[in-house]
Amino acid sequence: MKKINIHKLSAKDKKKIHTWLRAFIQLLYFLFLPSAYTAAFSGVKYIFTQIGAGEKVGITSFVSVLIVLCLYTILFGRFFCGFACAFGSFGDAVHALYIKICKKLKKKPVKISDTWAARLSSLKYVVLAVIVVMCFTGVYSKTQGYSPWDVFSMIHAGNFKLNNYIVGIVLLILLVVGMAIQERFFCRFFCPMGAVFSILPILPFFALYRERENCIRGCSGCTKKCPSGIEIPDVDSTEVNGECFQCQKCIDTCPKGNIHCGIQELRGNEILFTLFRAVVLLGLFLWLGI
Amino acid sequence: MKTFGIKVINMIAIIGLLLGYNMVLENRERDDQIAKLKAEVEGLKLAQQSAISENSEGTSENDSYADGTYSGEAEGFGGLISVEVEIEDGMITNIEIVSAESEDGAYLTMAKDIIPEIIDNQSTDVDTISGATFSSTGIRNAVTQALEKAEK
Repeated sequence: MKKINIHKLSAKDKKKIHTWLRAFIQLLYFLFLPSAYTAAFSGVKYIFTQIGAGEKVGITSFVSVLIVLCLYTILFGRFFCGFACAFGSFGDAVHALYIKICKKLKKKPVKISDTWAARLSSLKYVVLAVIVVMCFTGVYSKTQGYSPWDVFSMIHAGNFKLNNYIVGIVLLILLVVGMAIQERFFCRFFCPMGAVFSILPILPFFALYRERENCIRGCSGCTKKCPSGIEIPDVDSTEVNGECFQCQKCIDTCPKGNIHCGIQELRGNEILFTLFRAVVLLGLFLWLGI
Repeated sequence: MKTFGIKVINMIAIIGLLLGYNMVLENRERDDQIAKLKAEVEGLKLAQQSAISENSEGTSENDSYADGTYSGEAEGFGGLISVEVEIEDGMITNIEIVSAESEDGAYLTMAKDIIPEIIDNQSTDVDTISGATFSSTGIRNAVTQALEKAEK
């Protein structure tokens, strides 16, 4: 067998490997660990329900998932969102399918304009605030059947007793339409767990930066490729954008290979680093017993 | 850098508030317990003084179940949950989950909190665990089914 040197692959091959690796990791997490995102968010809901009822906040299984995922995100960025969240992966699949169909039909895909996307992305904080207030006041338990996440998890688990979930089903269908049109539609605009993640103080070690001075003038290929439309900060800064899902598409898109993470030594080892992060996350999940 | 600082401060504030909140509640609980114990001690003193020792034990406990181990099954979130209920002296003494393969780990752990509730109340007429409604309802229904078999 010929040994493949990952440092000597062409940019095109690297891109291919990255794409397939990501799809593979997403598929495995989707099939075997689909409940992490709801469990973590149940932690948020639990905390505020307890406070609203004047009860003590214990370290329940939900809260420990929430704490561990937040710590992981602070260190590695929102890798969980980009690679392991079942709902995010589902959205990626829907979007990929839509783009493929558009290509076949030779139609230009519909897109939400960048200005609107930027405006909509603060909506997720509203969603988070509304749910938190509802938990705090104890109203939340009365809205059973409204959550599109519940419907999604039930369908995923093969549970089709969805009689009382009309609102949730309608919301889920609307979200699927959105997911098709806009990459990471739900994650960017509505995900309350994403809202929690993006207000975390994410450390700059593994966040992505670009060497601005080497950029081709007026290129902005990375921003166009980015599902969150992020203008990647310059290497000199330690700025971290909480909207970054760590999908790492920008790294492969850049024609000059200008983009790398905070720790420069990892440059060229993206494949191994991605695998490393996926395995660490898997270890944490197994330890938590999700 | 500035936003990072603000985010750190925010996070520390939220964690601090949560810990503080828990501490206040813990202190209150402790005070309550001390007050309760004090009242109990007083009561015992009074009972000794009056020196009336009436042997009146509440023996007429729930005797509607036959002793033994019974199993029950019910639908949880993604499939069947099966439990075993132990009855001793007509009382529910232990409930064990035999299998719940299709439940998600974090949810099942949470849902298990319903077991001490059922044992404390000696009844399945208890509230489900919010956040893990499906799994805890499954456990409750499975126990109900087991108890039906145990009824005399």
